[in-house]
Amino acid sequence: MLRFALITACIGLMSPGFARDRLQVVSTTTVLRSLAEAVGGDRITATSLVPANMDAEDYQPRPQDVLRLKNADLLLRVGLDYDLWADRLLAQAGKPELGRGGPRYVDASFAIAVLELRGMSVSPSDGHAHGSGNPHYWLDPNNAEIITATILEALARIDPPNAARYEANRIAFLNRLSGKLTEWESRLVPLRAMPLVAFHNSWPYLARRFRLNFIGFIETKPGVPASPAHLAGLVRDMQARGARIVVREPHEPERDVAFVARKTGASMVTLAASVGALPGTDDYIALFDANVAALMAAAGLQ
Amino acid sequence: MIETASFLLPAFLVAVCLVGIHVYFGIQVLARQVIFVDLALAQIAALGATVAFMLGHSAQSPMTYGYSLGFTLLAAVLLAFTRSWATRVPQEALIGVIYVVAAAAAILLIDRAPQGAEHLKQILTGNILTSGWNEITIIVPLYAMTGLLHWLLRRQLTGSGELFWEFVFYASFGVVVTSSVAIAGVLLVFSFLIVPAAIGVMFTSSPAGQLAIGWITGTLTSAAGLAVSFAFDLPTGAAMVCAFGGALAVAGLVYPFLRGDRHRALRGAIVTIRWFAAALLAGSALQLAAAPRADQPLLDVIETAVPSLRSLYFSRSELATFLEAGETAERHRAAAERLNDLEKRNRTEGEALDDVSIGRISSFLKSYGEMRKGEQFVMGEVRARARERIRWGASLGLLTLALLVAPIAWRSLRMRGPH
Repeated sequence: MLRFALITACIGLMSPGFARDRLQVVSTTTVLRSLAEAVGGDRITATSLVPANMDAEDYQPRPQDVLRLKNADLLLRVGLDYDLWADRLLAQAGKPELGRGGPRYVDASFAIAVLELRGMSVSPSDGHAHGSGNPHYWLDPNNAEIITATILEALARIDPPNAARYEANRIAFLNRLSGKLTEWESRLVPLRAMPLVAFHNSWPYLARRFRLNFIGFIETKPGVPASPAHLAGLVRDMQARGARIVVREPHEPERDVAFVARKTGASMVTLAASVGALPGTDDYIALFDANVAALMAAAGLQ
Repeated sequence: MIETASFLLPAFLVAVCLVGIHVYFGIQVLARQVIFVDLALAQIAALGATVAFMLGHSAQSPMTYGYSLGFTLLAAVLLAFTRSWATRVPQEALIGVIYVVAAAAAILLIDRAPQGAEHLKQILTGNILTSGWNEITIIVPLYAMTGLLHWLLRRQLTGSGELFWEFVFYASFGVVVTSSVAIAGVLLVFSFLIVPAAIGVMFTSSPAGQLAIGWITGTLTSAAGLAVSFAFDLPTGAAMVCAFGGALAVAGLVYPFLRGDRHRALRGAIVTIRWFAAALLAGSALQLAAAPRADQPLLDVIETAVPSLRSLYFSRSELATFLEAGETAERHRAAAERLNDLEKRNRTEGEALDDVSIGRISSFLKSYGEMRKGEQFVMGEVRARARERIRWGASLGLLTLALLVAPIAWRSLRMRGPH
């Protein structure tokens, strides 16, 4: 009896009807997963390769990830050299339609107005070793409009019967987002004049949208500890310009940030740059809700 | 200037404390031939902290420290036994296995924990630059007590090799290493431990003399490393580790002069240097002859130091092209930087740029980057062609120079000739 049940279950799992019920969308990061869910709704199952709490810039893929790609209908990636490790994974998965230029490959950075573009050979003095520009573009909520448009186009292409549904989902999401954006903007107005310092240069897009003033970074090159002259210069700058807030992400070293905060009497605030990196950042909108609240609290404005 | 120096003072004092205790342990570790035991102990302590972290204790809580300590003591028991187990397999091999297994186990555990990897990294990669007075107030009494304990028990701890005293040695060493690795990182702690002790052991066999030499060289080298890191704007820990490497090299060079025939030592040193220079020149000659378009490390270094040397083998028009391309590349870089600055200022000042303008800026930046790469390609091409032209003559010249520099006794070769 048990054996019969098992066999039935196996056949059930293998049958194309079961697997094809929902589109399998695999994204590299949790932010893209959240945005894909916003467009796909209940027609897709989205999974992200990098767990919520890890630094996606130096993620080491697992064997399971190849399997996830093999079963994927669509691959979503950040691009701009942010998730370079995905290239090797795609080569291993051996599905050309998921690879660069394939019909099921989506680079979400398509049509984004990129900030801080520097040639490959310019020395990376602001924490990024790559020449493709700063890759943290999802931290401008307005860019979600472009990213979801790219996702919509891809979903409609591989699943035309549901195109209208995807479009309706996207418009509903964008309506919610634009209401929220006005709220965030008005709440962050008092922070506009405040100089901020961050550990890593993840925030130019956020800064541009909300007109925040990041005056410096602790990390000048990824993975290299700061030199004494750089730290001293940063502390001097912070004191001269009255910077009271140091921003870090949960995966960044607390010690170095606390050191700078102690030297300047600034307060330390932990912001999430990706969905799920902190409690209460379970989707794209909650991510900004939490970050706005954290910034307000750090500025003593709550 | 003074501010930066005030940054370095706590780091220097921490370094002095670390040198104080680690030179002593280093001499012991060298005598027991368990060089990598500090890595194994630090990794085990990190594994303990990871387990505590997995069980929900925060990074700075006493419970986490308790777990670290517990794991370190367990490892000390294991290490105390390794001496008697190590009959056919060297003790170092067992220590290495403890190290890699502890490291791998921590990775497996941390894979399941939120923010785990960073937590683990923070235990093992301290940054001496960001250490402060609060750390000094913790380590000074800790190290003083450890030192006192070892002085009182010096006979049992250094000589006997009994299981219990081995355990006491490794346990106290583990406590010290766990705290120091969190402050200064694995690489620097290893340098504190081994390099000054090795220099001390090199020059004298009296324990007090070894300690004194170790303390002096350790403190001076730390100061030199900090000064270099300050003067050349380098990461402090890495600069200090390299300073320790340099100190060991200097000690190795000085050693034959202090212990033995000075004239012979000097002659030996000169012969070595000449062989080294000859090998460098001959290698460069072969590289230039075989692949003139490839990197020429020796020529590149000399040209960077004395750019006017290029006019020796560039034709006039080549030199003009080279210089102009360099200037243009620099102009493109400056233009791109100006645009980047403009965009950055605009985030907070004036009226915000819309996405179309940002897109325009980024396509301009892309073009500047490409044009700059183009100019750099021109520079590389001009130089490669000039080198191709002179490849045979120049490599022959370098080879002759190598033969002249090499300490070959030409006269005795001729004597042995056809006669």
